[in-house]
Amino acid sequence: MGCSVPANYPNYEAAMHKVAEGLGMELEYMEGVACCGSPNLRAIDMMGWLTVNARTLAIADKNGHDIVTPCNGCFGSLKDVYHFLKHDAKYLKEVNAVLKKEGLEFKGVAKPRHFVEALYSDVGIDEIKKKITKPLDGVGIAIHYGCHILRPKDVTEFEPKMLQDLVTVTGASVIDYPLWKQCCGATVLPVSEDLAIRLARDKLKSMTEAGAAFATVCCPACGNQLDLQQLGLKDSYGEEYNLPVLLYPQILGLAMGLDEDEVGLSMNRVAADPILEHLTE
Amino acid sequence: MTEADEKDGTPTVLVDPIDMSKLDPEFRNEIKSMPNGEELNACFACSTCTAACPIANIWTYKPHQLIRMIILGMREEVLSSDEIWLCLTCFQCQERCPQKVRVTDIFFDCKNLAAEEGKIPENIVGLAKTLLEKGQLYEVTADWEREDMDLEPEVPGLSTDEFIEIVKATRTGKIAGGEE
Repeated sequence: MGCSVPANYPNYEAAMHKVAEGLGMELEYMEGVACCGSPNLRAIDMMGWLTVNARTLAIADKNGHDIVTPCNGCFGSLKDVYHFLKHDAKYLKEVNAVLKKEGLEFKGVAKPRHFVEALYSDVGIDEIKKKITKPLDGVGIAIHYGCHILRPKDVTEFEPKMLQDLVTVTGASVIDYPLWKQCCGATVLPVSEDLAIRLARDKLKSMTEAGAAFATVCCPACGNQLDLQQLGLKDSYGEEYNLPVLLYPQILGLAMGLDEDEVGLSMNRVAADPILEHLTE
Repeated sequence: MTEADEKDGTPTVLVDPIDMSKLDPEFRNEIKSMPNGEELNACFACSTCTAACPIANIWTYKPHQLIRMIILGMREEVLSSDEIWLCLTCFQCQERCPQKVRVTDIFFDCKNLAAEEGKIPENIVGLAKTLLEKGQLYEVTADWEREDMDLEPEVPGLSTDEFIEIVKATRTGKIAGGEE
Protein backbone atom coordinates (compact mmCIF):
# COMPACT_ATOMS: atom_id res chain seq x y z
CA MET A 1 0.00 0.00 0.00
CA GLY A 2 2.96 2.29 0.58
CA CYS A 3 2.80 5.36 2.80
CA SER A 4 1.24 8.14 0.76
CA VAL A 5 -2.08 6.48 -0.12
CA PRO A 6 -3.00 5.44 3.45
CA ALA A 7 -1.90 8.78 4.91
CA ASN A 8 -3.14 11.20 2.26
CA TYR A 9 -5.61 9.39 0.03
CA PRO A 10 -7.86 7.06 2.03
CA ASN A 11 -10.44 7.70 -0.70
CA TYR A 12 -8.09 6.04 -3.20
CA GLU A 13 -7.44 3.11 -0.86
CA ALA A 14 -11.16 2.62 -0.14
CA ALA A 15 -12.22 2.94 -3.77
CA MET A 16 -9.56 0.41 -4.75
CA HIS A 17 -10.85 -2.11 -2.19
CA LYS A 18 -14.48 -1.66 -3.16
CA VAL A 19 -13.82 -1.93 -6.86
CA ALA A 20 -11.68 -5.02 -6.31
CA GLU A 21 -14.37 -6.58 -4.19
CA GLY A 22 -17.03 -5.90 -6.80
CA LEU A 23 -14.86 -7.55 -9.42
CA GLY A 24 -14.03 -10.61 -7.34
CA MET A 25 -10.41 -9.66 -6.86
CA GLU A 26 -8.89 -10.59 -3.53
CA LEU A 27 -6.50 -8.03 -2.06
CA GLU A 28 -4.53 -8.61 1.14
CA TYR A 29 -2.43 -6.12 3.07
CA MET A 30 1.17 -7.28 3.16
CA GLU A 31 2.48 -7.99 6.65
CA GLY A 32 5.65 -6.35 7.89
CA VAL A 33 6.32 -3.88 5.09
CA ALA A 34 6.91 -0.12 5.04
CA CYS A 35 7.90 2.60 2.58
CA CYS A 36 9.64 2.18 -0.82
CA GLY A 37 11.87 5.13 0.05
CA SER A 38 10.86 7.00 -3.13
CA PRO A 39 13.26 8.27 -5.82
CA ASN A 40 14.75 10.50 -3.12
CA LEU A 41 16.17 7.49 -1.31
CA ARG A 42 17.46 6.11 -4.60
CA ALA A 43 19.22 9.43 -5.21
CA ILE A 44 21.15 9.51 -1.97
CA ASP A 45 21.41 5.88 -0.92
CA MET A 46 21.28 3.35 -3.73
CA MET A 47 22.16 0.43 -1.47
CA GLY A 48 19.53 1.31 1.13
CA TRP A 49 16.90 1.76 -1.58
CA LEU A 50 17.79 -1.56 -3.23
CA THR A 51 17.68 -3.38 0.09
CA VAL A 52 14.37 -2.05 1.44
CA ASN A 53 12.61 -2.77 -1.84
CA ALA A 54 14.26 -6.17 -2.21
CA ARG A 55 12.99 -6.92 1.27
CA THR A 56 9.40 -6.12 0.28
CA LEU A 57 9.81 -8.29 -2.82
CA ALA A 58 11.32 -11.09 -0.73
CA ILE A 59 8.30 -11.01 1.61
CA ALA A 60 6.07 -11.34 -1.44
CA ASP A 61 8.19 -14.31 -2.56
CA LYS A 62 7.67 -15.90 0.84
CA ASN A 63 3.92 -15.20 0.72
CA GLY A 64 3.69 -16.62 -2.77
CA HIS A 65 1.63 -13.69 -4.08
CA ASP A 66 2.36 -10.82 -6.45
CA ILE A 67 2.47 -7.31 -5.02
CA VAL A 68 -0.23 -4.94 -6.18
CA THR A 69 0.17 -1.24 -5.46
CA PRO A 70 -1.97 1.83 -6.22
CA CYS A 71 1.09 4.14 -6.19
CA ASN A 72 3.40 4.87 -9.12
CA GLY A 73 6.18 5.67 -6.67
CA CYS A 74 6.05 2.25 -5.02
CA PHE A 75 5.50 0.63 -8.39
CA GLY A 76 8.50 2.41 -9.95
CA SER A 77 10.81 1.59 -7.05
CA LEU A 78 9.74 -2.04 -6.76
CA LYS A 79 9.87 -2.59 -10.53
CA ASP A 80 13.24 -0.90 -10.88
CA VAL A 81 14.73 -2.96 -8.08
CA TYR A 82 13.13 -6.17 -9.35
CA HIS A 83 14.53 -5.57 -12.84
CA PHE A 84 17.93 -4.54 -11.55
CA LEU A 85 18.42 -7.47 -9.20
CA LYS A 86 17.32 -9.88 -11.89
CA HIS A 87 20.16 -8.59 -14.05
CA ASP A 88 22.93 -7.92 -11.55
CA ALA A 89 24.40 -10.85 -9.68
CA LYS A 90 26.84 -8.78 -7.65
CA TYR A 91 24.24 -6.52 -6.04
CA LEU A 92 21.84 -9.46 -5.67
CA LYS A 93 24.39 -11.28 -3.54
CA GLU A 94 25.05 -8.22 -1.43
CA VAL A 95 21.35 -7.50 -0.87
CA ASN A 96 20.49 -11.10 -0.06
CA ALA A 97 23.31 -11.21 2.48
CA VAL A 98 21.51 -8.43 4.37
CA LEU A 99 18.07 -10.01 3.96
CA LYS A 100 19.35 -13.35 5.23
CA LYS A 101 19.50 -11.94 8.76
CA GLU A 102 15.71 -11.80 8.65
CA GLY A 103 15.47 -15.20 6.97
CA LEU A 104 14.43 -13.61 3.70
CA GLU A 105 15.72 -13.97 0.16
CA PHE A 106 14.95 -12.09 -3.03
CA LYS A 107 14.13 -14.75 -5.61
CA GLY A 108 12.27 -12.62 -8.13
CA VAL A 109 9.28 -14.95 -8.38
CA ALA A 110 6.51 -12.71 -7.04
CA LYS A 111 6.13 -9.66 -9.24
CA PRO A 112 5.47 -6.05 -8.38
CA ARG A 113 2.41 -4.80 -10.26
CA HIS A 114 0.29 -1.69 -10.48
CA PHE A 115 -3.36 -1.97 -9.48
CA VAL A 116 -4.57 -0.71 -12.87
CA GLU A 117 -2.45 -3.28 -14.68
CA ALA A 118 -3.89 -6.01 -12.45
CA LEU A 119 -7.41 -4.82 -13.29
CA TYR A 120 -6.59 -4.93 -16.96
CA SER A 121 -4.73 -8.24 -17.01
CA ASP A 122 -6.33 -10.31 -14.25
CA VAL A 123 -9.94 -9.17 -14.37
CA GLY A 124 -10.00 -8.01 -17.98
CA ILE A 125 -12.05 -5.43 -19.84
CA ASP A 126 -14.83 -7.88 -20.76
CA GLU A 127 -15.47 -8.86 -17.16
CA ILE A 128 -15.34 -5.24 -16.00
CA LYS A 129 -17.85 -4.32 -18.70
CA LYS A 130 -20.37 -6.73 -17.21
CA LYS A 131 -20.23 -4.87 -13.89
CA ILE A 132 -20.82 -1.39 -15.31
CA THR A 133 -24.31 -0.44 -14.21
CA LYS A 134 -24.11 3.36 -14.41
CA PRO A 135 -22.00 4.13 -17.46
CA LEU A 136 -20.66 7.60 -18.05
CA ASP A 137 -22.19 9.53 -20.92
CA GLY A 138 -19.06 9.86 -23.05
CA VAL A 139 -17.63 12.69 -20.96
CA GLY A 140 -14.04 13.55 -21.94
CA ILE A 141 -11.39 12.41 -19.47
CA ALA A 142 -7.69 13.24 -19.80
CA ILE A 143 -5.40 10.50 -18.50
CA HIS A 144 -2.26 11.41 -16.62
CA TYR A 145 -0.38 8.12 -16.42
CA GLY A 146 2.57 9.40 -14.43
CA CYS A 147 6.23 8.91 -15.33
CA HIS A 148 7.04 5.92 -13.17
CA ILE A 149 4.32 3.71 -14.58
CA LEU A 150 5.32 4.51 -18.18
CA ARG A 151 9.09 4.72 -18.10
CA PRO A 152 11.59 3.22 -18.44
CA LYS A 153 9.37 0.96 -20.48
CA ASP A 154 11.78 -1.99 -20.51
CA VAL A 155 11.41 -1.95 -16.71
CA THR A 156 7.75 -1.00 -16.16
CA GLU A 157 6.29 -3.11 -19.01
CA PHE A 158 3.18 -0.93 -18.91
CA GLU A 159 1.15 -0.04 -22.01
CA PRO A 160 -0.87 3.20 -22.09
CA LYS A 161 -3.62 1.23 -23.80
CA MET A 162 -4.36 -0.54 -20.51
CA LEU A 163 -5.55 2.61 -18.75
CA GLN A 164 -7.21 3.94 -21.93
CA ASP A 165 -9.35 0.82 -22.17
CA LEU A 166 -10.10 0.98 -18.47
CA VAL A 167 -11.40 4.53 -18.90
CA THR A 168 -13.45 3.84 -22.02
CA VAL A 169 -15.08 0.76 -20.48
CA THR A 170 -16.75 3.11 -17.97
CA GLY A 171 -18.47 4.86 -20.88
CA ALA A 172 -16.19 7.90 -20.75
CA SER A 173 -14.07 8.97 -23.70
CA VAL A 174 -10.33 9.54 -23.56
CA ILE A 175 -9.14 13.03 -24.47
CA ASP A 176 -5.85 13.24 -26.37
CA TYR A 177 -3.71 16.14 -25.27
CA PRO A 178 -0.21 17.19 -26.32
CA LEU A 179 1.53 16.87 -22.93
CA TRP A 180 0.18 13.42 -22.03
CA LYS A 181 3.65 11.98 -21.49
CA GLN A 182 4.89 14.87 -19.40
CA CYS A 183 5.81 14.79 -15.73
CA CYS A 184 3.53 16.31 -13.06
CA GLY A 185 6.54 17.71 -11.20
CA ALA A 186 6.05 15.80 -7.95
CA THR A 187 9.60 14.48 -7.66
CA VAL A 188 11.20 17.91 -7.85
CA LEU A 189 8.89 19.41 -5.21
CA PRO A 190 11.44 19.20 -2.36
CA VAL A 191 14.14 20.87 -4.47
CA SER A 192 12.20 23.51 -6.40
CA GLU A 193 8.59 24.21 -5.61
CA ASP A 194 8.28 26.83 -8.37
CA LEU A 195 9.41 24.37 -10.99
CA ALA A 196 7.08 21.67 -9.67
CA ILE A 197 4.15 24.06 -9.85
CA ARG A 198 5.06 25.14 -13.38
CA LEU A 199 5.01 21.53 -14.53
CA ALA A 200 1.64 20.83 -12.92
CA ARG A 201 0.26 24.01 -14.46
CA ASP A 202 1.52 23.10 -17.95
CA LYS A 203 -0.24 19.74 -17.70
CA LEU A 204 -3.50 21.24 -16.50
CA LYS A 205 -3.39 23.84 -19.26
CA SER A 206 -2.75 21.20 -21.91
CA MET A 207 -5.59 19.00 -20.62
CA THR A 208 -8.09 21.83 -20.35
CA GLU A 209 -7.27 23.28 -23.78
CA ALA A 210 -7.81 19.86 -25.33
CA GLY A 211 -11.33 19.88 -23.91
CA ALA A 212 -11.05 17.55 -20.93
CA ALA A 213 -13.91 17.76 -18.42
CA PHE A 214 -12.03 15.64 -15.89
CA ALA A 215 -8.59 14.18 -15.41
CA THR A 216 -7.70 10.82 -13.97
CA VAL A 217 -4.53 9.67 -12.24
CA CYS A 218 -3.28 6.41 -10.73
CA CYS A 219 -0.71 7.81 -8.30
CA PRO A 220 -1.06 9.79 -5.07
CA ALA A 221 1.88 12.07 -5.86
CA CYS A 222 0.48 12.93 -9.30
CA GLY A 223 -2.94 13.40 -7.71
CA ASN A 224 -1.44 15.83 -5.24
CA GLN A 225 0.24 17.81 -7.99
CA LEU A 226 -2.73 18.04 -10.32
CA ASP A 227 -5.52 18.34 -7.78
CA LEU A 228 -4.18 20.15 -4.71
CA GLN A 229 -1.82 22.45 -6.62
CA GLN A 230 -4.73 23.87 -8.61
CA LEU A 231 -5.73 25.79 -5.50
CA GLY A 232 -2.40 27.63 -5.45
CA LEU A 233 -2.40 28.44 -9.17
CA LYS A 234 -4.94 31.17 -8.59
CA ASP A 235 -2.26 33.13 -6.73
CA SER A 236 0.91 32.10 -8.56
CA TYR A 237 -0.37 32.20 -12.14
CA GLY A 238 -3.71 33.97 -11.79
CA GLU A 239 -5.26 30.96 -13.48
CA GLU A 240 -8.23 28.89 -12.46
CA TYR A 241 -8.72 25.49 -14.07
CA ASN A 242 -11.41 23.90 -11.91
CA LEU A 243 -10.50 20.58 -13.50
CA PRO A 244 -11.65 17.75 -11.23
CA VAL A 245 -8.94 15.11 -10.82
CA LEU A 246 -10.18 11.63 -9.93
CA LEU A 247 -8.22 8.60 -8.88
CA TYR A 248 -9.03 5.93 -11.43
CA PRO A 249 -10.86 3.53 -9.04
CA GLN A 250 -13.21 6.39 -8.13
CA ILE A 251 -14.36 6.65 -11.75
CA LEU A 252 -14.67 2.91 -12.15
CA GLY A 253 -16.46 2.63 -8.80
CA LEU A 254 -19.06 5.22 -9.74
CA ALA A 255 -19.67 3.49 -13.05
CA MET A 256 -20.09 0.21 -11.13
CA GLY A 257 -22.84 1.81 -9.08
CA LEU A 258 -20.98 2.86 -5.93
CA ASP A 259 -22.15 6.15 -4.51
CA GLU A 260 -20.04 9.28 -4.10
CA ASP A 261 -19.36 8.66 -0.39
CA GLU A 262 -18.19 5.12 -1.00
CA VAL A 263 -15.46 6.41 -3.33
CA GLY A 264 -14.74 9.42 -1.09
CA LEU A 265 -15.47 12.04 -3.72
CA SER A 266 -15.67 14.84 -1.16
CA MET A 267 -11.99 14.32 -0.25
CA ASN A 268 -10.85 15.46 -3.71
CA ARG A 269 -9.64 19.06 -3.40
CA VAL A 270 -11.16 20.39 -6.63
CA ALA A 271 -14.88 19.63 -6.42
CA ALA A 272 -15.28 16.30 -8.21
CA ASP A 273 -19.02 15.89 -7.84
CA PRO A 274 -19.79 17.35 -11.32
CA ILE A 275 -18.90 13.85 -12.55
CA LEU A 276 -22.15 12.58 -10.98
CA GLU A 277 -24.09 14.52 -13.62
CA HIS A 278 -22.42 12.41 -16.28
CA LEU A 279 -23.62 9.09 -14.92
CA THR A 280 -26.60 7.62 -16.72
CA GLU A 281 -29.39 6.28 -14.55
CA MET B 1 25.92 45.72 -36.72
CA THR B 2 28.89 47.44 -38.35
CA GLU B 3 32.27 45.93 -39.01
CA ALA B 4 33.82 48.25 -36.42
CA ASP B 5 31.48 46.95 -33.68
CA GLU B 6 32.48 43.38 -34.33
CA LYS B 7 36.13 44.17 -33.81
CA ASP B 8 35.49 45.79 -30.44
CA GLY B 9 35.56 43.93 -27.15
CA THR B 10 36.45 40.34 -26.44
CA PRO B 11 35.52 37.68 -28.96
CA THR B 12 32.37 35.73 -28.15
CA VAL B 13 32.94 32.12 -27.19
CA LEU B 14 30.16 29.59 -26.99
CA VAL B 15 31.73 27.50 -24.28
CA ASP B 16 34.38 28.34 -21.73
CA PRO B 17 37.64 26.52 -22.47
CA ILE B 18 38.06 23.32 -20.50
CA ASP B 19 41.15 23.09 -18.31
CA MET B 20 42.46 19.68 -19.30
CA SER B 21 44.69 19.40 -16.24
CA LYS B 22 41.62 19.41 -13.99
CA LEU B 23 39.90 16.51 -15.70
CA ASP B 24 39.49 13.22 -13.89
CA PRO B 25 39.86 10.47 -16.47
CA GLU B 26 38.65 7.88 -13.96
CA PHE B 27 35.25 9.52 -13.53
CA ARG B 28 33.76 7.79 -16.54
CA ASN B 29 34.89 4.39 -15.29
CA GLU B 30 33.45 5.14 -11.89
CA ILE B 31 30.04 5.87 -13.45
CA LYS B 32 30.30 2.90 -15.79
CA SER B 33 30.80 0.59 -12.83
CA MET B 34 27.64 1.89 -11.14
CA PRO B 35 24.08 0.61 -11.65
CA ASN B 36 23.02 1.03 -15.29
CA GLY B 37 26.09 3.07 -16.21
CA GLU B 38 27.50 0.53 -18.71
CA GLU B 39 26.28 2.26 -21.86
CA LEU B 40 27.77 5.65 -21.00
CA ASN B 41 30.41 5.58 -23.76
CA ALA B 42 27.80 4.89 -26.42
CA CYS B 43 26.70 8.54 -26.26
CA PHE B 44 27.42 10.34 -29.53
CA ALA B 45 26.09 13.69 -28.28
CA CYS B 46 23.07 13.83 -30.57
CA SER B 47 21.15 15.86 -27.94
CA THR B 48 17.97 13.81 -28.24
CA CYS B 49 17.94 13.58 -24.43
CA THR B 50 18.00 17.36 -24.21
CA ALA B 51 15.19 17.67 -26.75
CA ALA B 52 13.12 15.25 -24.66
CA CYS B 53 13.79 16.94 -21.32
CA PRO B 54 10.84 19.11 -20.24
CA ILE B 55 13.06 21.39 -18.15
CA ALA B 56 16.33 21.55 -20.12
CA ASN B 57 15.49 25.17 -20.93
CA ILE B 58 16.32 26.18 -17.36
CA TRP B 59 19.47 24.06 -17.10
CA THR B 60 22.88 25.65 -17.58
CA TYR B 61 24.28 22.22 -18.41
CA LYS B 62 21.86 20.33 -20.65
CA PRO B 63 21.46 16.55 -20.27
CA HIS B 64 23.67 15.74 -23.28
CA GLN B 65 26.31 18.12 -21.94
CA LEU B 66 26.27 16.45 -18.54
CA ILE B 67 26.83 13.08 -20.18
CA ARG B 68 29.69 14.57 -22.23
CA MET B 69 31.13 16.14 -19.07
CA ILE B 70 31.12 12.74 -17.38
CA ILE B 71 32.95 11.19 -20.31
CA LEU B 72 35.47 14.03 -20.33
CA GLY B 73 36.06 13.68 -16.59
CA MET B 74 34.55 16.94 -15.29
CA ARG B 75 33.78 15.27 -11.99
CA GLU B 76 33.68 18.35 -9.80
CA GLU B 77 31.39 20.30 -12.12
CA VAL B 78 28.93 17.42 -12.54
CA LEU B 79 28.74 16.45 -8.89
CA SER B 80 28.38 20.06 -7.75
CA SER B 81 25.73 20.90 -10.33
CA ASP B 82 22.19 21.82 -9.38
CA GLU B 83 20.98 20.03 -12.48
CA ILE B 84 21.39 16.49 -11.15
CA TRP B 85 19.06 17.39 -8.27
CA LEU B 86 16.56 19.22 -10.45
CA CYS B 87 16.17 16.13 -12.64
CA LEU B 88 12.50 15.18 -12.54
CA THR B 89 13.39 11.50 -12.93
CA CYS B 90 10.71 11.40 -15.62
CA PHE B 91 12.93 9.14 -17.79
CA GLN B 92 11.99 10.91 -21.04
CA CYS B 93 15.70 11.38 -21.90
CA GLN B 94 16.53 7.76 -21.23
CA GLU B 95 13.48 6.50 -23.09
CA ARG B 96 14.40 8.33 -26.29
CA CYS B 97 18.15 7.81 -26.33
CA PRO B 98 18.96 6.08 -29.65
CA GLN B 99 22.13 4.68 -28.09
CA LYS B 100 20.41 3.15 -25.07
CA VAL B 101 22.37 5.29 -22.64
CA ARG B 102 20.44 5.13 -19.37
CA VAL B 103 20.64 8.87 -18.85
CA THR B 104 18.25 9.20 -15.89
CA ASP B 105 19.78 6.18 -14.17
CA ILE B 106 23.24 7.73 -14.65
CA PHE B 107 22.04 10.96 -13.02
CA PHE B 108 20.90 8.82 -10.06
CA ASP B 109 24.45 7.41 -9.92
CA CYS B 110 25.84 10.97 -9.95
CA LYS B 111 23.56 11.94 -7.09
CA ASN B 112 24.82 8.97 -5.09
CA LEU B 113 28.42 10.08 -5.65
CA ALA B 114 27.52 13.64 -4.71
CA ALA B 115 25.72 12.35 -1.61
CA GLU B 116 28.81 10.37 -0.60
CA GLU B 117 30.69 13.70 -0.63
CA GLY B 118 27.95 15.36 1.39
CA LYS B 119 26.66 17.47 -1.50
CA ILE B 120 22.93 17.11 -0.93
CA PRO B 121 20.20 19.78 -1.04
CA GLU B 122 18.98 20.60 2.44
CA ASN B 123 15.40 19.49 1.86
CA ILE B 124 16.56 16.08 0.66
CA VAL B 125 18.59 15.70 3.86
CA GLY B 126 15.31 16.48 5.62
CA LEU B 127 13.60 13.64 3.77
CA ALA B 128 16.46 11.31 4.68
CA LYS B 129 15.91 12.22 8.35
CA THR B 130 12.20 11.50 8.05
CA LEU B 131 12.95 8.10 6.50
CA LEU B 132 15.49 7.28 9.19
CA GLU B 133 13.22 8.30 12.06
CA LYS B 134 9.82 7.17 10.82
CA GLY B 135 10.60 4.47 8.28
CA GLN B 136 8.27 6.14 5.83
CA LEU B 137 7.73 9.48 4.14
CA TYR B 138 4.12 9.96 5.18
CA GLU B 139 2.48 8.98 8.44
CA VAL B 140 -1.22 8.60 9.02
CA THR B 141 -2.27 11.64 11.02
CA ALA B 142 -5.94 11.94 10.12
CA ASP B 143 -7.10 8.45 11.09
CA TRP B 144 -10.72 9.67 11.28
CA GLU B 145 -10.56 10.16 7.51
CA ARG B 146 -9.63 6.50 7.18
CA GLU B 147 -12.49 5.47 9.45
CA ASP B 148 -14.87 7.63 7.41
CA MET B 149 -13.89 5.48 4.46
CA ASP B 150 -14.43 2.23 6.43
CA LEU B 151 -10.69 1.60 6.61
CA GLU B 152 -8.72 0.47 9.64
CA PRO B 153 -7.44 3.60 11.43
CA GLU B 154 -3.92 2.18 11.35
CA VAL B 155 -2.48 0.75 8.17
CA PRO B 156 -2.76 -3.05 8.40
CA GLY B 157 0.56 -4.85 8.18
CA LEU B 158 2.70 -1.73 8.45
CA SER B 159 6.03 -2.32 10.16
CA THR B 160 8.74 0.33 9.96
CA ASP B 161 11.45 -1.01 12.29
CA GLU B 162 13.06 -3.22 9.66
CA PHE B 163 13.19 -0.35 7.16
CA ILE B 164 14.87 1.85 9.75
CA GLU B 165 17.39 -0.88 10.62
CA ILE B 166 18.35 -1.23 6.95
CA VAL B 167 18.83 2.45 6.15
CA LYS B 168 20.60 3.10 9.44
CA ALA B 169 23.39 0.84 8.21
CA THR B 170 23.58 2.34 4.72
CA ARG B 171 24.37 5.88 3.55
CA THR B 172 21.10 7.33 4.89
CA GLY B 173 22.37 6.65 8.39
CA LYS B 174 25.52 8.65 7.65
CA ILE B 175 23.62 11.52 6.04
CA ALA B 176 20.78 11.83 8.50
CA GLY B 177 22.10 10.30 11.69
CA GLY B 178 24.48 11.58 14.31
CA GLU B 179 24.72 15.29 13.59
CA GLU B 180 21.72 16.29 15.69
